[in-house]
Amino acid sequence: MLRNWRANRIVFFFVCMFLCGGLIIISAAGTIAPVEGVLATPLNFLSGIFNDISQTVNSAITDLSEIQELRQRNAELEEALAQFQAELVGLREINSDYQRLSDLLEYTTSVQNQEFVTADVINFDQSSLLRTIVINRGARDGIARGMPVVTRQGLVGRIVEVSASASRVLLINDPSSYVSARLQTSRAEGSVEGQLTGNLRMIDIPLNADVREGDLVLTSGLGGNFPADIVIGQVTSTRQFEFELNQEAEVRSLINFDTLEFVLVVTSFQPVDISVFENEDAQNP
Amino acid sequence: MGNFLSLPILMIAAALQTSLTKQIRLLGGEPDLVFLLVLSWSINSELEQSVVWAFIGGICLDLLSGAPMGASIPGMLILIFGVSGLGQQVYRIGIVILVGLVLIGTLVQQIIFMGIIALTGQRVLWFESLTYVTLPTILYNLLFIIPVYWFVRRIQNGLSRRQIKS
Repeated sequence: MLRNWRANRIVFFFVCMFLCGGLIIISAAGTIAPVEGVLATPLNFLSGIFNDISQTVNSAITDLSEIQELRQRNAELEEALAQFQAELVGLREINSDYQRLSDLLEYTTSVQNQEFVTADVINFDQSSLLRTIVINRGARDGIARGMPVVTRQGLVGRIVEVSASASRVLLINDPSSYVSARLQTSRAEGSVEGQLTGNLRMIDIPLNADVREGDLVLTSGLGGNFPADIVIGQVTSTRQFEFELNQEAEVRSLINFDTLEFVLVVTSFQPVDISVFENEDAQNP
Repeated sequence: MGNFLSLPILMIAAALQTSLTKQIRLLGGEPDLVFLLVLSWSINSELEQSVVWAFIGGICLDLLSGAPMGASIPGMLILIFGVSGLGQQVYRIGIVILVGLVLIGTLVQQIIFMGIIALTGQRVLWFESLTYVTLPTILYNLLFIIPVYWFVRRIQNGLSRRQIKS
């Protein structure tokens, strides 16, 4: 029985293989092509559905990977943008420095018989009680106490402290600063003093002097502290009091003391000490 | 009942094999779902039923491919007759034998298929096909045999319970 079954199985196998071979031959010959077409229809339909699903999934996966790529690209671009912005800021800074330095150079070449040392402002002390700046030039660079400090826009102040490599400049708008001044048009003399507000005021102007808004105020050179004819500022308003012998004028400096970056120290000017004469006057009234 | 079930299951498997599984193609290889279903079915089924599965599965695959109809059947027939013979020799087919069957079966199936293709006049690059297509297919089949076998066993168990009830 077992032998029969085994024999049947072998026969069955060969029958199957024979059928299969026949199928292959007639299929390869194209005889059953129409039947194949009909049979393939439902399979193609199913395959089409799965293909659609597959394409949708594939597309979603591609989109996801593209989003990831875009995010990465975006991060790279943002990084590059930050770098370029930093470079742009640096270039603007260089351009700004260049403008200021070229202004200073123009000024120094326009002023005859004067020697200058260019200095960077390295510190500000502009509280309402004290208005000074520190520059990066000192005794080693030929800076001495009392030397005037200017920019192209006018007078900045004078050196009050000197170390080997830095100096402190008392700004003209410091409340303790007095500068002998002159009005350019009327040639009236006076003094420009700093205010607690940071503004400038010209005092001791003779009552008969013709003071007008917009008049330029220059150093007079009197007192020997500053060379003459350095611009201090412009008159913005005047005040007269009946009970006083002088009049006053509000002066606006052309310099923005809060944003000073470069200054020129006039090294060729030596302040004159006239305190000796003042002492003599006091002793011999 | 198993014969009736073979048609929808193998049709879906063939359609899946020619569409979805192409998306996970490794080199030129992809999981041969129809082959795995026929193999899994033949392990715990009668020979006649397995032959029906092999014919239906092979025809479905060939209808969706450019190969002549029946080209995929001989390899599967050899395998299921082998499984049937093996079933009489061993107490039960375990995981090691299953893996061995997948390994040898895939190789036999692919070689016979390529042989038939070659006989029908098409050019077959034997070495490249074996390395580029057959080896990755073996890997995939080894990976997919467990879920496919589990799926087939569930169906067969369900059918058995229904037969016992009736």
